[in-house]
Amino acid sequence: MRRILAIVLATALIGGAFAQQIRIMGYGGQDPAILVRLLDEVIGAELAAEGITLTYEPLEGDYNAALFNALSAGTAADIFYIPVETAPGIIATGKVLALDGLFDTAPFIDSLVEAYTVDGSVYGIAKDFNTLAIHYNTDLFDEAGVAYPDASDTWATFADKLRAVAALDADVYGTCFPAGFDRFGAFAFATGWQPFDADGHTDLLDPAFVEAVTWYTDLVREGVAIQPSDIGQGWTGGCFATDDVAIAIEGAWMLGFLRNEAPNLQYGTTFMPIGPSGERGNFLYTVAYGINTDSPNRAAALRVLEAITGPAAQQWVLEQGLAIPSRTALADNPFFLEGTPEAIANRVVFEGAADGHVLGFQFGNIGTDWMTPVNDALVAIMTGQATVDEALTEAQRDLNALIERAR
Amino acid sequence: MRAAATRLGAAEQRALEHWQARRRWARAGLVYAVMLAFAIVFVGPLLFAAVSSLRTDPLEYPPSLAIPQLQPSNWAAAARLGQAGAGDRWFGGFAPGATVPFEIAYFVPDGVDVTDPDVEVPRRRPGAGLGAVLAIEYAADFASVSELQRLPDVPMTVESGDGTTSGRRVAYAFTIRYQGDGPVIDRLPLDVTAAVGMQYLDSTLTASRLERRGRTASFNDVAPGVLGYVLRNYVRVFNEVRSPATRQSLFLAWIGNSFAFAAVRIVVTLVIASMAGYALARLRFRGREAIFMLVLFSQMVPLQVLFISNYLVLRDGILTVGGFTLSSLWGFPDGMLNSLTGLVFVTALNAGAVFIMKQFFESIPREVEEAAMIDGANHWRRYWNVVLPMARPALGALTILTFQGAWNDFFWPFIVLTSPENVKTLPIGLLSFRNTYGAVGDWGLILAGAVMSAIPVIILFVVFQRYFMEGVSFGGGKE
Repeated sequence: MRRILAIVLATALIGGAFAQQIRIMGYGGQDPAILVRLLDEVIGAELAAEGITLTYEPLEGDYNAALFNALSAGTAADIFYIPVETAPGIIATGKVLALDGLFDTAPFIDSLVEAYTVDGSVYGIAKDFNTLAIHYNTDLFDEAGVAYPDASDTWATFADKLRAVAALDADVYGTCFPAGFDRFGAFAFATGWQPFDADGHTDLLDPAFVEAVTWYTDLVREGVAIQPSDIGQGWTGGCFATDDVAIAIEGAWMLGFLRNEAPNLQYGTTFMPIGPSGERGNFLYTVAYGINTDSPNRAAALRVLEAITGPAAQQWVLEQGLAIPSRTALADNPFFLEGTPEAIANRVVFEGAADGHVLGFQFGNIGTDWMTPVNDALVAIMTGQATVDEALTEAQRDLNALIERAR
Repeated sequence: MRAAATRLGAAEQRALEHWQARRRWARAGLVYAVMLAFAIVFVGPLLFAAVSSLRTDPLEYPPSLAIPQLQPSNWAAAARLGQAGAGDRWFGGFAPGATVPFEIAYFVPDGVDVTDPDVEVPRRRPGAGLGAVLAIEYAADFASVSELQRLPDVPMTVESGDGTTSGRRVAYAFTIRYQGDGPVIDRLPLDVTAAVGMQYLDSTLTASRLERRGRTASFNDVAPGVLGYVLRNYVRVFNEVRSPATRQSLFLAWIGNSFAFAAVRIVVTLVIASMAGYALARLRFRGREAIFMLVLFSQMVPLQVLFISNYLVLRDGILTVGGFTLSSLWGFPDGMLNSLTGLVFVTALNAGAVFIMKQFFESIPREVEEAAMIDGANHWRRYWNVVLPMARPALGALTILTFQGAWNDFFWPFIVLTSPENVKTLPIGLLSFRNTYGAVGDWGLILAGAVMSAIPVIILFVVFQRYFMEGVSFGGGKE
């Protein structure tokens, strides 16, 4: 009797020691469903064999606010998403485990690792990512008899093609240019301009930046490009889906939208045009997994991180067409070579991460507030309320105050 | 002389009365016009949302009033096609053995060559939500389109801004057959692409959208059934939004949670508020005033001040001492987050309700209770058998206000209910809708969910208007 009891106790103890529950906090939307499928079909069995179970807790609404709440309340999960735009702030809380020596970051795309590196330590492993690419409506280009945009286009040849297509019809524009740094920034980077110098200052009056602003806003003032709101749209994808514009500069997130809203739109995708620096510019939009320093199951959390960012998981996510993986080795995946418009778009977005001046969608500790003065300036110039010089001088003043306050 | 004066007076009188009557009408007209204007301002957005939730593209710009979903000819066609597709005139589908007939017509101006259009059942994968994540069956794998049969041309003219164009109406008929054996598929999408110059006129069912500069008529579902056609977004809310793990309909779960939460909260509020209100109004005990002040004070502290401490209490399971949590006594050893019980715990106590009940009990004459006292009734009997039945109007008002508050409550459910998806209440569920479907422009689904979430409150308001007014006046003054 006593022996049986001992055996029962021992198994209970061992079971207890092995059964480890790891929580992941991330976005709502369709991410919970993706994780369920990923567990079912790829990594679940392997983790279960090691006694690890996973639960996913979606934070709906404002993810960053909810995550900061959870971090300060001590309820944050073992693993959580770190959006690139707020990464410096989240890492500065000291609640994210530095992965040096614990995790091999070599297989991941350099610029993605770079975006999560602070003072030489890596804090996050990118889950997936996006960059901007040129998506063009082949019907409109064919009708106008204009050559499709291609990888050799410079700003000048690109603008000429836009002008030629816009001449087709009064209702057709070359492209939608929103008055926002989140898209325009890619063009600013193509001049070689950087948002921060070594001291953490921003120079909006740098001739390179002025040149980019002038080129971008001139196309709008000329009527070749149009702001989305001027044709009743909320974003460039909306303009593109209704055949109002020939080109959309967006990431692969637009593909799902097109599947729903314009399933028959005939499009192709190519790289961003080459800027005055002789290189392309691009943004990296990404989200990483980070590990909570307070996690009671650090070893298990690292094991889970390894599995969900592992080659098998990422290959599955790619082949299901759900996201673009962050491992360089997947560049040769047959999915990218399928030749369908979606596959081509995904490949261009994937390769965009390592082509030219590519910077994370990130603004130091200031966060996305950094963009506000720049966006205001773009609106003022596009609508003719201010000249480029006036608007940028004012934006520089606001931005200096913002940077000063964040110190 | 006198008679003449009276006659004149009578005429004047009549003119005066006439003028007064006109003024009365004018005043009534003005009042009604103002009320009508207010009603339109307040109800307008709701109506617009309800109508937009039927559209294929609720963001259509500029918005048009000709909504295909509201045309009876399309209802009849949808029923016929649904019957042909799966023998179901209400919800349609595409089942083995089905043959779906379809016609489409183009206007071809004189001088333009007619080329037969391409008809295709596309493999159309949803761009968002579970449809995009989970593997689904495609109608394209089972459908085969027959040869196009060209119907006789009809000469016609088309008026446009530049004048009149003459040409002819070219129509085609074809059928879509389910080949072989397989599952019943929810929807049968269709694309018909014509040559440049041919203008889409009409088809058995109006096209969901025209793409490629008008060349492609694209149909979301050509075997929809009436409800599947008119209420497509509503059907999708129930069909597409499912738990990835159990495939259970999330929207139904959310509605159930919201009703359960509201019901429990009403019961708890009524019991506690009426008992506390009675005690504060009638019982004489030391510290009564202080307790009442405390109740009032607790209503003055903003929710946001208390929520972190309350949240921590819930997280730890009420009272944790040396590994023992109080909530384990009723089945929550790991804290009470993500449970409706926990949500009821933090929201059910409502100082405002206690206040309303206290005021009401004080308005009931003391003599009523004194009569009962002479008959030998104790406090409990007086409360339960005498005062409570008299308080029915107050309880009714409280019920309605509590239901409305619980149904629309966002703050606490948002904090307490995070995971899994099926533990949420409706407002939180709608937020996750927005995150999932808003990003891909699928606003029809979100609108349908929002309209449905408004229905219970609208019904409640229409049925119990009277109590609403009483509820407002209870809060206001004291008789």
